[in-house]
Amino acid sequence: MISVIGYYTTKFGELWNKALFDLVDEALFGVLKETSIEKKQIDAVFFSNMMSGVLENNLHSPSKIAEILGGHIPVFRVEAACASGGTAFHMAVKYLEAHAGKTVIVIGAEKMTDFSPEEVISALTSASSGEEQEAGITFAGLYAMMAQIYFAKYHYTKKNLSYVSYKNHYHGSLNENAQFRRRITRKEAIASPLIAYPFGVLDCSPISDGASAIILTSDKNLLSKKNKAISVLASEIATDTISLKNRAYMDGIEASSIAAQKAFEGAACTRQDIQVAEVHDCFTIAELFAMEDLGFWKKGTAGKRITSLDTMLGNGGRLIVNTSGGLKAAGHPVGATGIKQIGEIFLQLTNQAGKRQVKGAEKGLTHNVGGSGGSAVVSIFSI
Amino acid sequence: MSTSPVKIWRRQKEIRNLLNRKGKIISWTYIYAPPIDFKKNAPYPVVLVEFKKGERAFGQLVSTQINDIKIGIRVKSVLRKVRDVLSDDVIAYGLKFERI
Amino acid sequence: MIGIVSYGFYVPEFRIKTEDIALQWGKNGKDVALSLGVHEKAVSSLDEDSLTMAFESSSMALSGIPVDRNRIGGVFFGSESPPYAVNPASTILAEFLGIEKQYLATDLQFACKAATGGMMMAGGLIESGRMSHVLVVASDKATAKPHDALEYTASSGSVSLLMGKEDLILEVVDMGSFSSDTPDFWRREGIRYPSHGGRFTGKPSYFHHIIQSSAALFKKNGLTPDAFAHAVFHMPNGKFPKQVGQSLGFKPGQIKTSLIVEQLGNSYTASALMGLVSVLEVAKPGELIFFASYGSGAGSDAFIFRTTQKLSERKHPFKKELKQKKYIDYPTYLRFMNIL
Repeated sequence: MISVIGYYTTKFGELWNKALFDLVDEALFGVLKETSIEKKQIDAVFFSNMMSGVLENNLHSPSKIAEILGGHIPVFRVEAACASGGTAFHMAVKYLEAHAGKTVIVIGAEKMTDFSPEEVISALTSASSGEEQEAGITFAGLYAMMAQIYFAKYHYTKKNLSYVSYKNHYHGSLNENAQFRRRITRKEAIASPLIAYPFGVLDCSPISDGASAIILTSDKNLLSKKNKAISVLASEIATDTISLKNRAYMDGIEASSIAAQKAFEGAACTRQDIQVAEVHDCFTIAELFAMEDLGFWKKGTAGKRITSLDTMLGNGGRLIVNTSGGLKAAGHPVGATGIKQIGEIFLQLTNQAGKRQVKGAEKGLTHNVGGSGGSAVVSIFSI
Repeated sequence: MSTSPVKIWRRQKEIRNLLNRKGKIISWTYIYAPPIDFKKNAPYPVVLVEFKKGERAFGQLVSTQINDIKIGIRVKSVLRKVRDVLSDDVIAYGLKFERI
Repeated sequence: MIGIVSYGFYVPEFRIKTEDIALQWGKNGKDVALSLGVHEKAVSSLDEDSLTMAFESSSMALSGIPVDRNRIGGVFFGSESPPYAVNPASTILAEFLGIEKQYLATDLQFACKAATGGMMMAGGLIESGRMSHVLVVASDKATAKPHDALEYTASSGSVSLLMGKEDLILEVVDMGSFSSDTPDFWRREGIRYPSHGGRFTGKPSYFHHIIQSSAALFKKNGLTPDAFAHAVFHMPNGKFPKQVGQSLGFKPGQIKTSLIVEQLGNSYTASALMGLVSVLEVAKPGELIFFASYGSGAGSDAFIFRTTQKLSERKHPFKKELKQKKYIDYPTYLRFMNIL
């Protein structure tokens, strides 16, 4: 049995005073303190980060983390674009399945605000194909193209997207660590300046700094001493082509669908059992795709179903989505996101989510996607 | 950032076979927030085109207003400079599309 | 007999009016247009250069022609705005056209007559039997200094000719060249914009060299201007070609069709050749066409062409093509020319 026994996150946002490894330092010691666990109890660290090499020539993170923590434990850097966090978590789970009685930290971090938006947008395109890069397309552009196909097929417009932005900003206003704390209106979302037609600024997750860490253990003794713990029922990964044009379909992310199917089978539970979920809303359309790909909503219906705001806190819905504010409002420091998602589910299932609490939540799901759908990680947790 | 001439050379061999081909637009967008190498040309439309034989390619669409771009429009692939390079770099020629 | 097997051309779709340029500099646009004989000029886009335009004109020249591209023995690229100061554009062009690799690639410069000099050399290689076909390309994205007189006329365009000795649409009856050291227009290494000698570019330069090359060719072949259905001269503006034609004894009607400069400006190496393209659209079989280019520095290449029956099968619509145009304003023009 593998359990998450602790979580710490830095604020997400423009953290001018902290460099990448300052954030790592804060989250590492933060999660240790939070769980009253000592450094020497940690057997390995899994580190998730996408762009430190591309943006700031800053690699060999295993050694840099060793310098921060002291000691000589193994540290593994994991990268799968925006799915780095979920993938690092997945690898930690596999590591613990292979090693009973061990405890690891999974930490994700990203530093993006030291660079101009163009530099960051360019660095992000490293997660797309060479041809996509050469066409100058950007990620907003790729998801916008996917949205155009979805709209044409199911007769939706960008108005349907505004509900996602509205909901997630509301949730963000309840999250003290979120980058954006301000509620917005749907009208603002629709009118926001264009980034990649039809997306406006408020359809896109921001450029953010941040680090989030969890402690994962297969140590029964340690687990018995912790009163806040959730178990990992399943963690599954699926990959797909890097080129959007080579996918089986472009109005959804098949990798999410495959990973979800495997996860639900592995966890032996149904979609209806999930009360709270953190899904990958890098762009508003991505949350609509997620709800369909994960099997919560039928293909083609998400544009309509989101308008009921059933998945927003306070509306009595059965499944609440992205209570953290999602990537949209909480922020998207790429390497940290996948871990933050798990941390948010941890808080929900252990009844520590304060104003964001989904009452009686017993099972939760996280969904982390890389690039335009080249990789997807789905994990299911239970109290 | 300097671009490798070898990468440009390899890439040009690939696009040779995609030039002067006809196809239609299967999706599109208009980029307002470009990466560094595309700043000069921004804002610009990017399309995904399916050629008659079934292959697909991404590329910018030249000389078309946003109101005139629709899924299904027929285009032809043309040779253009695709990316800003540094003034002492090898020039990056590549594929773009033109309405027909 | 050597000659032209097929031809292609490319004129970018954008235009800027003489008036809109004049407006920037507080001049009366109508007066400027009238004095230059140029109303608007063709402008290529930010992502175009002499190479991309050459690809378009060469693609047209080679399309549907029953010549195996691998039999093209030479690719000659003439330009005064080549993409590189050092690096051949001819090889880049040939590669994109799928011309494989046992061929001679050469880049040529001689102001506005780079390509026509290439035609003469290609003629020699074909006549000697060393090569069966040579692709000669003229292409320019001509830039002029803002506020300079050349700003109204320097334009973009490309013409490609496939030369050979069989299956011709135009036979080269004769060709000749006149050259001298005459510094009327130049650009130093590393300097962005060309300089010129003002009125020195007229009588001692343009007129002297064209008249000399043309007169020599008339004399050698025992021909007078009335033997020709059409005449084409290099067009730095709308006035010079009319004047030189008149000096040589041609009638306005013989030159009229070639005067594309009025609508397109001066595309430098492609200028006279574009005039030839215009003429070929209306030329009938068995007609003589007189052609003289001019390159500053200076020289003039003169040709006597005879059209064949084959021309009617291979001519391309030109006038209709020119109707596809979009006007741009001055800031957009500066942006497209990479000045802004």
